[in-house]
Amino acid sequence: MKGVSMDNIESTENIIEVKNVCMDFYMQSEKIDNMKEFFIRLLKGKIERQKKRILDNISFNVKKGESIGLIGHNGAGKSTLLKLITGIMRPTEGSIEVNGLVAPLLNLGAGFDFEATAKENIYLNGAILGYSKRELAKKYDEIVEFSELQDYMNVPIKNFSSGMVARLGFAIAIDVDPDILLVDEILSVGDENFREKCAKRISELRNRGVTFVIVSHNMAQVKSLCQKALWIEDSKMMAYGDAGEICDKYLEYCKNIKH
Amino acid sequence: MNHIFSSLATEQRKQKIKFFFEKQKKELMKNKNIVLQLVKRNIKVQYRNSAIGILWTVLNPLLNMLVMYLVFSAFFGKDDPTYSLYLLCGNIVFNMMRAATTQSLTSLVNNRGLLTKNKIAYSVFPLSCNLSAIVNFAFSFIALIAVMVVVALAYNITVFSVNMFMTFVMIPALFLFSFGLSLFFSGLYVFFRDIMHFYNVFLTLWMYLTPIFYTTDSLPSYMVPIISLNPMYHYVQYFRAIIYGCAYGTMSFPSGMETLTLYLIGIITTVTGTIFFNFTKHRFIFNI
Repeated sequence: MKGVSMDNIESTENIIEVKNVCMDFYMQSEKIDNMKEFFIRLLKGKIERQKKRILDNISFNVKKGESIGLIGHNGAGKSTLLKLITGIMRPTEGSIEVNGLVAPLLNLGAGFDFEATAKENIYLNGAILGYSKRELAKKYDEIVEFSELQDYMNVPIKNFSSGMVARLGFAIAIDVDPDILLVDEILSVGDENFREKCAKRISELRNRGVTFVIVSHNMAQVKSLCQKALWIEDSKMMAYGDAGEICDKYLEYCKNIKH
Repeated sequence: MNHIFSSLATEQRKQKIKFFFEKQKKELMKNKNIVLQLVKRNIKVQYRNSAIGILWTVLNPLLNMLVMYLVFSAFFGKDDPTYSLYLLCGNIVFNMMRAATTQSLTSLVNNRGLLTKNKIAYSVFPLSCNLSAIVNFAFSFIALIAVMVVVALAYNITVFSVNMFMTFVMIPALFLFSFGLSLFFSGLYVFFRDIMHFYNVFLTLWMYLTPIFYTTDSLPSYMVPIISLNPMYHYVQYFRAIIYGCAYGTMSFPSGMETLTLYLIGIITTVTGTIFFNFTKHRFIFNI
């Protein structure tokens, strides 16, 4: 009896709780990034700051092991929401509670130092993802093998092709053992073979009970990968629920806009 | 019944506190690893494409000193056999602060790729710049010892003494001072990119206001109290005293008060820098 109730608790546990989250950006009509400009404008009384609401009253819960697709037009606030969940930004209002290790997969290779070699970058990025040195030494071979870049480990990344950079980035990020994986439009890197490998690895992680939050413009992908979808439009939450249903609604909405 | 609930609640609270501390510990370990990797990178990148690599960190201060020695020995300290040491000591102490702060200044903006895509404590970047400056200082110290050997042999004088080990007391204080400055300036640079130019000019002025190639007794007497308002003056003089000054007999061993002054300057700067950094860090992401 006890075992059953424990199982129940686990399967209904919210791993991400987003409550009434609002996010404001201050947009300067002209961006001031130097003192000269700042003081001249201060004297003239001309510092205008426009508040823009990027996210407006977003609330949703994600249960452990679920996969959520974030959909909506460009600039709707999807990536900002991912950054809030990662903790890179703090919400202006509301609260976000995340119970577990988050691995962000935002924009592959963004964290690379292009002057450094692939090997050095693996160690730096591994440290950022929270590995200890010993863990990383173990994982290093795995990462190299997955990226299929064995011969290029001592080459500075600036000499890599963009596809190679993306492969290395994916290999590092995917080798984490996270509770939550945040993925921002990156599932289309590399050639056909590599993509297949990534898809396999992702389904492996899903079977292991990793929670996914995926930003994608590919509705077929969202339908096949996610159980639920969150549709954000113009910084507001339009709908949250079954992925198939929401995707169809979204496609319908897009059609109507066009006509 | 109530009793059971309350004990359950305290148990939960205990669990939460335990979880919190484990998280903090993990976070600390993670930051330690990041800093370690960044320091390694900083040092490697410096001389990556040079033929003699890391040897430059030793040669650089040595050559610098040689130039200064050739230029200034004609004007100052001509008959002082320790003038080369005087120069080198001043130079490597000032350079540690200079390298740490100029690298830190742009460190946040230069690493924006890492900062905007991952959750990292911002302070690891200025911290790693300061730590690599200490590593470079250690290499310069080798150059210093080489010059000390040459001076000791050439003039047959005593420059070595156990006082040298006081360096381990002085360096943490200097680190605190330059780390505090680094926190302040790296944060400010996110908002105002033109402070880099100001800072470079300011550093030149600061160098001339620090007795690196001139001695304080060659100054007009009214300048001495003004010069002593400069924190770097205290660090530079302290270092000279412990390296060769008290062994050679030109300077006295620094008093406890002097050591305390160094630490007070360091601590005040770090606290101020940290307050500024923490106060502004939530807005970095929007301006970086």
